[in-house]
Order: sequence, then C-alpha cells, then structure tokens
Amino acid sequence: MLQAELERADLLKKVVDAIKDLVQDCNFDCNDSGLALQAMDNSHVALVSMLLQVESFATYRCDRNIALGVNLTSLTKVLRAAQADDRLTLKAEDAPDVLNLLFESSENDRISEYDLKLMDIDQEHLGIPDTEYAATITMPSSEFKRITTDLMAMSESVTIEASKDGVKFSAMGDIGNGSVSLRQHTNVEKEDENVSIQLVEPVSLTFSLKYLVNFCKAAGLSSVVKVCLSNEVPLLVEYNLSGKKGAHSYLRFYLAPKIGDEE
Amino acid sequence: MARTRLSSAKDKKGGGTAEKTNTNTTTTTSSTTTKYPLPTESPNPPKVFILPNKATAAARIVTLPNPRYSKPTRFLVCPEAGFFEFTKISAPKTAPRSWLLETASGAVEKPHEDEEDHIISSSDGFDVHITKGAELYVASPLDPLFLLLPALAAGAGQESKSTPAPKKRLFLSSDDHFDALSQPTNHVSEILTWPDLQRSLELRLAAVCDTVDAGDEQMFRLNESKLLDEMLAKARRMAEHAFPKSMEEKFVSKALEAPILGVRSQPTAVTEPDPTTATAKSREGSATPMESVNPQSTIPSLATSASSLSEASAPATSGSIDSATNADSGDVVNAMSAPEEAIKLQRLRVAFNFICSSYIAPSLAELLRSHCVAAKDKVDFGPLDDYLIKLTKMRNDAAAARTSDYSRKRGMDEEEDERAEKRRKKEEEDKVKKANQSRGVKKLAKVNTTGMKKMSDFFKKK
Repeated sequence: MLQAELERADLLKKVVDAIKDLVQDCNFDCNDSGLALQAMDNSHVALVSMLLQVESFATYRCDRNIALGVNLTSLTKVLRAAQADDRLTLKAEDAPDVLNLLFESSENDRISEYDLKLMDIDQEHLGIPDTEYAATITMPSSEFKRITTDLMAMSESVTIEASKDGVKFSAMGDIGNGSVSLRQHTNVEKEDENVSIQLVEPVSLTFSLKYLVNFCKAAGLSSVVKVCLSNEVPLLVEYNLSGKKGAHSYLRFYLAPKIGDEE
Repeated sequence: MARTRLSSAKDKKGGGTAEKTNTNTTTTTSSTTTKYPLPTESPNPPKVFILPNKATAAARIVTLPNPRYSKPTRFLVCPEAGFFEFTKISAPKTAPRSWLLETASGAVEKPHEDEEDHIISSSDGFDVHITKGAELYVASPLDPLFLLLPALAAGAGQESKSTPAPKKRLFLSSDDHFDALSQPTNHVSEILTWPDLQRSLELRLAAVCDTVDAGDEQMFRLNESKLLDEMLAKARRMAEHAFPKSMEEKFVSKALEAPILGVRSQPTAVTEPDPTTATAKSREGSATPMESVNPQSTIPSLATSASSLSEASAPATSGSIDSATNADSGDVVNAMSAPEEAIKLQRLRVAFNFICSSYIAPSLAELLRSHCVAAKDKVDFGPLDDYLIKLTKMRNDAAAARTSDYSRKRGMDEEEDERAEKRRKKEEEDKVKKANQSRGVKKLAKVNTTGMKKMSDFFKKK
C-alpha cells in the first residue's frame, strides 16, 4: 500500500505540468525510498527523470514496490481541482486499479477526493550513469527560460558554447541570427541570481529549441537551473525539487544533441 | 506497522508445530523520517512450516539431491517417521500477502517445548514478525525410494541407447549406492549415521532390486521390472479414487469428453426461462420448438459450436464434471460417453505420468514409460487407447462440421471482415489515445529530430 502526503499540492501540479507536454503516459514507480518517474518522449530523443524522496513528503509510506501507470493529461485534469496550497495525499493499493487523490484545503475544511484510473504501461527503464560533464552552468531558471523563448523566434535550434569567457547561446535562422552571452556573476544579496560556470574543457553543442522550451516549463519549480554539457552525451537540465535541505529530490531532463546537419 | 493483509501464524492445522529458522531481529530505527519507520529487513526472515505430528524431535531439515533434477533440495527427515518433502504454497503475485507471526502467548509451542528445546532455544528473541512473502511450507511424506533411484539408475541413460537389457548394471552394496548420492553439498552422509535409517532404506531398496548375499552383506541391483511394478502400484493407489476436482476435470473429464452433438429439449426445463435451455439451442436443438425466447438465445448457437469441448458444457449442466460419465442424465447429449474402464485407465495413466514427471529423473522416466507400454501383462491401456482413437476422429469430424457451417454463412469475406474489424478497432484506439494527448506532445511530434540520436544509444537498458 502507498500513502504519500505532500504539504503543498503545488509541487505535484507543477511537476506534472512540466512533464505532460513531453510524455503522454508514464509509470510512477513507488518504493520505500520515494516516488520516481522515468519516461521518454515519443521520438525517444529526450528523457525525463524525476525523484521525489521520502524527505519531500510530509508523511510517506510504501510497503511494496508499486508502478502507477498514469495518463498525464488525465492526471492534469484531476490536479486542476487542487489549490496550490492544499494538502495532497496519494493513496494506492498494492496491486492498484486506481490512484486515489485527496485534496485538503488549508483554509477551510473542504476535502475533495478523486480516483484516477490506472493503466498498464510497458516501459523500458534506462540506466543513467553518473557523468562528469565538460561544462556545468548554474543560472536562474527564469533566465534560461527567457533565452530559449527569445531564440525560438529566430531558429529551431540553438548552439550552446561554453568556454572560459562564459557561455554563449546562438541561433541562426531564415530571418537572421541572434545570440545571448552570459558571464560568471555573483550577486551577494540574491544568491538565486548567480551565474556560475564550471568548466573542465570548452564544449559547443547544438540542440532543438522546441525541446528546451518544453523543459523550461519546469522553471516554476525551482529558481535555479543547472545545465550540464559534454560531447557525445545528452544535455542535462536539472531542477532541484528539495524545498527542505537534506532531500535530494529532482526533476531532470536529458536531450540528445544534434549532430552533423546544422541548418 | 501493519501490512494490508495479515494472516496469523497461529491458525495452523492439526496442531502442527511451527519452526523458525534462526533470525536476527535487529530493530534499528531507519534513517527515513517516516512516521512509522520499518525495522530493517532481516536477511533470514522466519518461515512458516506445517510439519507432521508424528515427526519426532530428532527430525531435521536436510539437503538431499532432488530425485528428478538432482539439484540440492530441502527435505525433512525423521529417523522414525521417515522422509518428507516440502511443498511451497504462496500467494499469486497479483494478490500479495504477508504473514504476521506471533508466538508471544506460547500457545503454539508450549505443549512441545520440552521436546523441541533445541529448536526454540535458537529463537529466544522471537516475538512478533511480519514477513514480506506469505509462503507456507507443507511437509508431506515421501517414499525414500525416489531419493535412492538416481544412484540405482546411474547407468540408465547409456543403456537405453544401446540395449534395453539392464545386464551391465553391477550388484553393489547399499553403502556403495548411498555413496553415489553423497556430495559435500548435501547431508546424505550425515543422515546415514542415524541408527535404523540405513536399515529402512535398504528395505526400500530391496523392493525394486535384485539382491544377492555376499558374505554377511547384501548386494543390490536395480530391476526395472520390479521398479515398474512398484511405480504402477503407487499409481494405482493414487488413481483408486477420483483426483482432486480441478485435476480430475483437467486431466480426466476434459480429456475424455466427447464433442457435444446437441441438447435434448426438456419440456420441464422450458417452463422456467433459465439460461440452460438458452445455451442449449444448438444446430440440432434449434429444430425443436422453443417456447421460451430468452434474450440470450441469439448468442448460443455460436457459443455451443465454438467451444463444445470446454466452456459450453460448463453453463449447460450444473455438474459439468460428471457430464462425461453420465451424459444421458444431463441436458447435454454428448456424442458418446467414456466407458468406466477408460476413465479408470485414464486416471491410472495420469497418475503414472505424474509420478514419472515429478519424482523420477528424465532418462529413467523415459525408460519406465517404454517398459510400461511394453508390459501388457501388468497394465493394458488398450481399451483407453481404442476409446481415444474414436474420440479424436469424432472431434475432427465435429471440427470439420463446424467450419463448413461457417463458410455457408459468411463465404469468403470472413478474412476481409476480420481485417476490417481490426482496422476499425485500431482506429478507435488511436482516437482515444489522441484525445488523451496533450497539445505539447502533439507539437513535439512535429519537431525535426534529424541528427539526434535515440536515448537508448546513450543509456543502456536496465
């Protein structure tokens, strides 16, 4: 049996909102260490991996490993009924047909309860090794979102170039070209606005902007985003979901670089 | 913390005694911050056994070679009560269960405490346990002969190829036979040191072996004819009464059931509109006037003809198991009913095959089966075989009749229709899928992904 209580329904709402435009159906894998999700988009060039550790929940109990096969569009519909600061409880039997969602209002005694039908999803699980990236860029998530949406106006793909001078996002399209450069920057008062670049070796790779814009839907989950690049491996865009210190909950997106064929 | 389903270990049948394998119950608080932390999982969780009452305190669970696969298997051996095999009973994966084991009251163990001192002493700290898998191990008596067979038949594989005559086998002393079984990984040599056990094993050996006295020692050599007698005797005992219901149905009734030809319409049955008569309306049955037009009566002609062997008979007669033996009394008219003798022989054959395929090594089982066919004087399956040949012919005829029936109705379009239906179904499924697709997913489908490798090229499947 699974019983997991989140202090704020917001967290799950935003996570599902961020993923639902990338994947359609996916399994939420529950075990005693938390709630995990791994899924690829239909073209299998991007992968999303989420982990909500036990520490991210107000209470958490999971006796057996359970896979909850969910259609994310349907889950979004149900989660729309929850207020951002409602308490949210997820419940499921050991071999469940439905996922029970309970929203408890923080202001009044309103309790709403929904059962979401589950489905059997045959999903292959990929093992993702720990990678030493050539460049790791930490920046405000709003900044990354703005860059991708701005450059989207110019082209379908963006080249991210990390060197010792900084990081440069450039796009070349039919109407012209554009670029945004960022340098290492420390803001003592607002740490969230820091831009830091850790570089092992210079790297330059091209990615599909549509996918990156899609990843940026998670910007509301964390004020900081980590972008990691290396040759020959997918780009990693990571949002930290640990509100409290000590938890290691995250939402990670991986995207295959475009090779050759540069328009 | 309680699991969803709990089974008490106390409701053991027949006052069987519970034995726990040594457990180290560490209840360290887990690092997580859950309200009810689970104790750390024991590497050696307690198991639930149902053991026979007659097993004495000296009984031990030992590892012996499995009679069929010769891999090490656990058996319960008691110097007085003999050998017992374990059958594991576990809940299906789809409906997981757990045990809640509780012995604090001592109600289970107390009466035997003095006898079982050694067992309990190892689990003094045992109070309450929850185990993940609700497995139950039931000990049931096993003829030690099966355990000895692999040693006796050591050369059986080669001999069956060259000559069927088992002449090459040598007379050996029982010790030599036992030595063949003994390995450092099993406990054969240990249990042989028990007094009386060797004697009782020798008695079992003598049952299937030719013996000669060499000095003060008796020598044994496997006699396949004696072995066949022994196995047939076991099979006869097993087949004496009807098998358990599910087994009887699957292996005896269904195997001997003749195809249903039609159903007699009984005026008494028609008065009440029950599904029996509705399903009964088959090709022949439809010719008779049917007063009650049941809403279900549109389906049956298809249902009965499509599955005369299995499903159809189930709703038609209440006691479908008996339908083969006394078809005339039921509503269904079977083309022929199996004679009593054939049923008995079928039972015997099933029992014999069951013994061969569960307790005897494959090569020796093969040999036994061929001997069994050859030894007409011991058991003659003739009447059964005759019946089965007739039955096969009848089934083929029925199948042929059915196909011709279809072709009259649907002609050659059948395949096309099927294909069209499949297409329609697929389209509908796709529609449902599309409806559940978010706008973002639809948009992403249009993105040009040329030059982008698949994720599975980077990350290996787990």
